Amino acid sequence: VELILIIGISLLLQFAAAFFAFRLIRVTGFQIAWVLISSAFCVMAIRRVIVLAQLLAGEVPHSRELATELVGLVISILMLAGVLFIGPLFRTIKAAEAALRQSRDELEGLVAARTEELQDTNARLSVELDERRKAEHLMAQYAGDLARSNAELEQFAYVASHDLQEPLRMVASFTQLLGKRYRDKLDADADEFIGFAVDGSTRMQRLLNDLLAYSRVGTRSKPFAAVECASVLSDALANLKPAIEESGARVTHEPLPIVRGDEVQLIQLFQNLLGNAAKFRGHEPLQVHISAELQDGDWVFAVRDNGIGIAPEQQERIFLIFQRLHHRSEYPGTGIGLALCKRIVERHGGRIWVESEVGKGTTFYFTIKGGENAPNGPRALSAN
Amino acid sequence: MDREHCRPIEILLVEDNPGDVRLTQEALREGKVRNHLHVAADGVEAMAFLRREGQHAQAPQPDLILLDLNLPKKGGREVLAEIKEDPDLRRIPVVILTVSKAEEDVLKSYNLHANCYITKPVNLDQFLEVVKSIEDFWLTVVLLPPR
Repeated sequence: VELILIIGISLLLQFAAAFFAFRLIRVTGFQIAWVLISSAFCVMAIRRVIVLAQLLAGEVPHSRELATELVGLVISILMLAGVLFIGPLFRTIKAAEAALRQSRDELEGLVAARTEELQDTNARLSVELDERRKAEHLMAQYAGDLARSNAELEQFAYVASHDLQEPLRMVASFTQLLGKRYRDKLDADADEFIGFAVDGSTRMQRLLNDLLAYSRVGTRSKPFAAVECASVLSDALANLKPAIEESGARVTHEPLPIVRGDEVQLIQLFQNLLGNAAKFRGHEPLQVHISAELQDGDWVFAVRDNGIGIAPEQQERIFLIFQRLHHRSEYPGTGIGLALCKRIVERHGGRIWVESEVGKGTTFYFTIKGGENAPNGPRALSAN
Repeated sequence: MDREHCRPIEILLVEDNPGDVRLTQEALREGKVRNHLHVAADGVEAMAFLRREGQHAQAPQPDLILLDLNLPKKGGREVLAEIKEDPDLRRIPVVILTVSKAEEDVLKSYNLHANCYITKPVNLDQFLEVVKSIEDFWLTVVLLPPR
């Protein structure tokens, strides 16, 4: 009876195992494997059905013993347990896989979205870049055109003043020769006419020379180097020695910096400003004071005098080429000095302006790009 | 008495501007030294004169050459180079007399062995003065090579 019971239970268990093994197909795939396992269980179960039938029929097969069947039962339990255990395990794995797949899909979606965004941005940027490139190209073209036309103008001014010198030299020389050789030999009118011709031609020569100097600021300039302004000032004063001495001027200065520039041009700049101060001095003994101050990275120079001053309505005009505020008989000159100053300052990337009160004095300011600042010690320069 | 004072000094002026030629003549006329001024109006003529070619077969060898740089046909620089390369001519002092103040012109001229470089003054009196000082220096102070 026990034998029958045991075999019956094993048989049921094996059927159950076969059933669950078959169901695993749905969960895990591996269709063939599970069909084979399931059928194996079925075969084992069927064998037990046969044995059971034989037992019930009263035949006792000698091979069947209780112990063996007990082992079979245990194996059946284990098989069922195994099959039952594998199911949830696979299910868990499947779920994990699905979760993984889902999060990967999400991630991929995100990446795709971001990539699209990036592509959009890239496209926008490249359009912008194109535009900017076009603008830069245009700008370079304009700058080139401007530089070319400036260079041509400078060349023109240079050639004009240079080549005009030659014939003018002839006019001037021969009218002078005429004056020299025939003064008092013709009549009073002739002497006067010759005088006008000589005066006109020499004035024209001066204008041409000045125009030449003006155009040379652009065409004959040297590359910038470190320039000590104190030595520039003393050079300018040395060049102006007669005029300064004649005016009895007292020239003082504060510590002056080292700047980057064209030394020859800076000497010319100081010379013109100081020369102007000496020329347009008032009744008081002339005092000129030069200072330099660093403002927003630029050196602001000031050349202050106590001369006759400039009326406010004239303060713009003085920087234009060949503009004069006085009759030649009062103050000689072509009117180039300050125009030249302006050109020199502008070539150094700065600007020049004036503050003045008639009868009190004038201060010329100009800026030069800063950078190297090593002011020299305070020193007073006196012309006498 | 100096040798120079026994015979006139031969000067070759290479100058294309008749005005300058005349001014130089005027200046030299006022000078102390007796001189013959020969004029070549361009570089080719100057070389023909110096080498006694064609119509210049009878030309004397100059004691001094006054040379302008801007000349038609053959420039002053070429003339200078040819003079200084010629063993028969290179001992003749060459005074560059030009309007150019360009450093480049000055340097190139000296590199080609110019004996001195003078810019023509714009002012008449200064011009006369310069020509006179050329005369003073090269024709009385300096001892020139023997003929």
